Amino acid sequence: MTSLVPTDSSQLTALKSYQTKLSKILLFYVLFYAALAGFFAAMLTVFYQTLDMNIPKWQLDGSLIGSNPGLGFRPMPPVENVESTLIWYRASDENYKYWTNELDTFLESECSPASYVLLTDKSCLLLTTIFAVVSAYRKPGILEGGGENSMACDYDQRPTGDKVCTVDLGTFGPCIPSTQYSYPQSHPCVFLKLNKVVTLHPATQSGIFNWNPHYYNDTEHLPELMPTDLKEFIKLKRDTNECFVPVCQMNTVWVSCQGENPADVENMGPVQYYPKRGFPGFYFPFQNKPGYQSPLVAVFFEKPAIGVLINIECKAWAHNIHHDRAERRGSVHFELMID
Amino acid sequence: MSFNLFQGLTHAKAKEILLRDGLNTLTPPKVKPEWVKFCKNLFGGFSLLLWAGTFLSLMSYVMLAATSDKPDEENLYLGLVLAAVVIITGMFSYFQERKSSKIMESFKSMVPQFATVVREGEKITLRAEELVRGDVVEIKSGDRVPADVRIVECQGLKVDNSSLTGESEPQSRSPECTNENPLETKNLAFFSTNCVEGLGKAIVISCGDNTVMGRIAGLASGLETGDSPIAKEIHQFIRLITALACCLGITFFVVAFILGYHWLDAVVFLIGVIVGNVPEGLLATVTVCLTLTAKRMASKNCLVKNLEAVETLGSTSVICSDKTGTLTQNRMTVSHMWYDNQLIEADTTEEQTGEHNLNASLGYKALIRCGTLCNRAEFKPGQENIPVLRRAVIGDASEAAVLKYMEIALGDVMSIRKKNKKVYELPFNSTNKYQVSLHETEDLGDPRHLLVMKGAPERILEKCSTIYINGQEQPLDADMKESFNDAYLELGGLGERVLGFCDLMLPQDKFPKGFKFDAEEPNFPLTNLRFVGLMSMIDPPRAAVPDAVSKCRSAGIQVIMVTGDHPITAKAIAKSVGIISEGNETVEDIAERLNVPISQVNPRDARAVVIHGSELKDLTIHHTEIVFARTSPQQKLMIVEGCQRIGHIVAVTGDGVNDSPALKKADIGKLFYQRVAMGISGSDVSKQAADMILLDDNFASIVTGVEEGRLIFDNLKKSIAYTLTSNIPEISPFLAFILIGVPLPLGSIAILCIDLGTDMVPAIALAYEDAETDIMKQPPRKPGTDGLVNSRLIGMAYGQIGIIQSVAGFFTYFVIMAEHGFMPMRLVGLRKYWDSESINDLIDSYGQEWTYHNRKDLEHTCSTAFFVTIVVVQWAGLIIFKTRRNSILDQGMRNWPLNFGLLFETALAAFLSYCPGMEKGFRMYPLKFVWWLPGIPFSLAIFFYDEGRRYYIRHHPGGWWDRETYY
Repeated sequence: MTSLVPTDSSQLTALKSYQTKLSKILLFYVLFYAALAGFFAAMLTVFYQTLDMNIPKWQLDGSLIGSNPGLGFRPMPPVENVESTLIWYRASDENYKYWTNELDTFLESECSPASYVLLTDKSCLLLTTIFAVVSAYRKPGILEGGGENSMACDYDQRPTGDKVCTVDLGTFGPCIPSTQYSYPQSHPCVFLKLNKVVTLHPATQSGIFNWNPHYYNDTEHLPELMPTDLKEFIKLKRDTNECFVPVCQMNTVWVSCQGENPADVENMGPVQYYPKRGFPGFYFPFQNKPGYQSPLVAVFFEKPAIGVLINIECKAWAHNIHHDRAERRGSVHFELMID
Repeated sequence: MSFNLFQGLTHAKAKEILLRDGLNTLTPPKVKPEWVKFCKNLFGGFSLLLWAGTFLSLMSYVMLAATSDKPDEENLYLGLVLAAVVIITGMFSYFQERKSSKIMESFKSMVPQFATVVREGEKITLRAEELVRGDVVEIKSGDRVPADVRIVECQGLKVDNSSLTGESEPQSRSPECTNENPLETKNLAFFSTNCVEGLGKAIVISCGDNTVMGRIAGLASGLETGDSPIAKEIHQFIRLITALACCLGITFFVVAFILGYHWLDAVVFLIGVIVGNVPEGLLATVTVCLTLTAKRMASKNCLVKNLEAVETLGSTSVICSDKTGTLTQNRMTVSHMWYDNQLIEADTTEEQTGEHNLNASLGYKALIRCGTLCNRAEFKPGQENIPVLRRAVIGDASEAAVLKYMEIALGDVMSIRKKNKKVYELPFNSTNKYQVSLHETEDLGDPRHLLVMKGAPERILEKCSTIYINGQEQPLDADMKESFNDAYLELGGLGERVLGFCDLMLPQDKFPKGFKFDAEEPNFPLTNLRFVGLMSMIDPPRAAVPDAVSKCRSAGIQVIMVTGDHPITAKAIAKSVGIISEGNETVEDIAERLNVPISQVNPRDARAVVIHGSELKDLTIHHTEIVFARTSPQQKLMIVEGCQRIGHIVAVTGDGVNDSPALKKADIGKLFYQRVAMGISGSDVSKQAADMILLDDNFASIVTGVEEGRLIFDNLKKSIAYTLTSNIPEISPFLAFILIGVPLPLGSIAILCIDLGTDMVPAIALAYEDAETDIMKQPPRKPGTDGLVNSRLIGMAYGQIGIIQSVAGFFTYFVIMAEHGFMPMRLVGLRKYWDSESINDLIDSYGQEWTYHNRKDLEHTCSTAFFVTIVVVQWAGLIIFKTRRNSILDQGMRNWPLNFGLLFETALAAFLSYCPGMEKGFRMYPLKFVWWLPGIPFSLAIFFYDEGRRYYIRHHPGGWWDRETYY
């Protein structure tokens, strides 16, 4: 019978020398990987020296992000359902609560509006401490040091210096927390935002590299595909002469929301946009200044059909925003279903 | 059919029959049609898996196309790329296979079989295929029977029918018909059986497909042999790694499925992981490497019958060489002469030319006159343009040696013989041990007869009373006898065959012109002759052999001589070629030196030994230098087995039918020497048993073989190490993707591009790598522990270089991600959101928001950059794997195929990245130039790390690095 424990001495020495051999190899690999990790860290450190912590190295067309921003919408479905874009609730139940809570968090979060979807609170904190994207819509832009750099802007009052424009939550009409964003009344609000695309500070870089919307601020060059109601809206604005020298109130990235199919158009019913039907031009460009708040458009669905799934596509309109439904360029898609 | 046994067929008749019946060959067994082979390459093994992937991709595209008006074209492209990849690699391996099998075919046809046929009363040798029914053929031991024949006369003829009937004992043959069953009767011998003993004459009764062998379908093709060690090793390794890859792949598939990936994506992962892990190019690489070597060896006179034998030859630790023809030139040559009481050495080199010492010494003249006249050997006619030494001679070996010597010394021997007309001759017989001839002399003024005699020196001396010294006849006194004895012993001690010569001018009065000499009752004097001298002959060693033997020795290969010759001859040759090296003594030598009986010498003091065949039983070897003399074929087999028992890998050389048992036993390099130079082809039997045929009979070629074998083994190792290394950077992105949730750093298609694209040419190019200078200074590898793929090689490829390469890839990935705004920490755990099409505003570290398509562009750009980085670090990989021990500075970059490989992989990578349209099909995106650079520091790190490692190995042999990292 063989014993598992080596008894005779030669076996023991053999085992021992095998152990020494093995531990030496192990030690070698530990040292090797440690050295490699050190080398990697050194390389990464060297590389970091080439980076600016406020402005990405590649921008706009130099970067793969391109110069054709997409749109985002809120509230979004829960993380477990990450592939879904359906906003579905029953007005009679309390289950609209999820959506209103989402919107509350979105507007209140200390993190940037998008990051909370993606990260737990902790990693959100991590992100903000490194890259200062504090942004709470309820409070004015607060700097890390506690200072304040926000200001109320208007078309004739562009942000100056390090200041950023505030987004005033009081201007969203029925889409405010106190009314639960009108969800219980079966005419919900969906918030839209234009994707932030960093551009360099105009002072340090010539204007060509800035992504500034190229607005539709006259009535002559409106694209054919633009929904007629938006065209009429722009014409009306034009007629009421809101665009006058020196500041044109029509310097706005217009927004339109439509049902994707004829049935959806009918089911969607009329919509209203708060505070304006678009993103005012004074918010652009996005220069990654601390405390920057993305402009928001709240889309108020006045009378959506009940019990049907409605496919909705919202588009942002500017000369330099091109639309592609498959690639979701310049647009966003979501579904709405109210039982 | 009428024929004459001595006349045979006429040439015209034979030609007519040949035209009617066709060549005497078996119709080759139906080989697989080319298209079947092609399909096998196209659909066999892994191709099947890739085809499945293609099918799934295309199917899902069709399904999408049917339901949606604007389907996602990605699946279509993926399917097309997969199909293209499979077809291209399938074609590549098909053409490689075809090329190497063609080369091997051509080798086979270079070793034709010959038959001796009687036609129009003349014996001619022709290719066995040209035999026709009715031909009279001669068969002798060692021949393969060239057709089905009926024996008409024979002496002790035995045939080995084992290939036909399975009888292991040789069957005796005779002209009588003993049985009605053709397979039983004794007077038939069959095509493709072997004649092992005796000789005979026979008539061809059927040819080609009509032979018994031809009718037994399938037997002819059933000669396939088992896998050789290297084939086994490679197959085993591939199987292992495939199983590993499949396990890993299925795990990934399941994990991906659980993580909520679409089944198609999961399949792509599965394919990616398997493709990333399996070295698809390896088999093709190995075949190409071996074929290249076989080709190179053919140019050095080694024909390789069995591809894998090349490599196994490299692991040889003992060569059992026969003596005659391998170590020696296989022709007796006059090496010494003793006349005028002087011992003179003759030129025995292979290219012996020019005049010998025609210094007109009278003693010399008398000796060569004797040698010229008392000689029955003649050159075969029609060889005037062939150098004397190569001419074929009728007559026995020592007479031929004397004849050739005379031809070179005197010019035209035949005309000299004509001038000195032979009037009487008493041939050699074993009782007399001498031969005598009587001649009229060329000196017309001298009517006397000249008697010349040659034979065993002691017998000749007995017949003599005087000796011819310095032109004077002196009495043969005791002093003279003493000095004769000294010379005779000295020559005998050199292992040479010695002949004595004497002559006598017969007195004219007793033996006038026209005297009738009588054979039965010698009526002329046979005593009191005049002794003229001695000639000794040896089969001289080949010039290249001593060098080759010492090369073997420095390569750690023991050379053992096995011969049927006398021990003294064997020892002499062994000493002259260095098998017994200078200064080493045998027991007998020590005894002689110390002047003590052999029994008092400690056998352990002697490093060399000459072993007589009969002593083989109680053999214990304390000696490093061994010569076996007087050995029989069975004993040769015992020697081979004995060496194998103590763990040696034995290569056996041999050419005769006797050698075939030993050749078959030698587990690896079965070698065989064919005598082309001598015009005597080696026996067909040993040709069959051999793996390798050396066309020039030369022991030195075997060393070339060993060197090539070691080289290919080394180069295969290098090639495999290179191929395996890139598996780590291929697989680690998937691991990171699944385990830490970063966006996929390297896509499946990119992995395919590496394995079947950029890595392929450089891996093959490593087969062209020159030997490292010290390749023949290393001991032979130990087959058990020192495999082709060992743990050290895996450690190097996977554990060290592979990991550095992965890190390089990830560095590039992080660089591009960070430059676009996604810092490394941001990427961790991001996979789920990154891959969600519904998130149109994913935020990066700078607060920018990315749409799904923007970030997929970014992901694929990173994948392209990762791919390019693997190419960049594989530059260093390729350069460091050029050498296992030497510095690249010594090795140089003279391997042009490899340099081309470097350019090729770079060009291919650039093409894939920059060619328009690649982003759709291959998901390869154009890179900014700076993204080629992040890999370079790692490339340099690999280069310097390995240079350092090898420096340490070179300078601290046996140290830790040597033991644990030398692969």
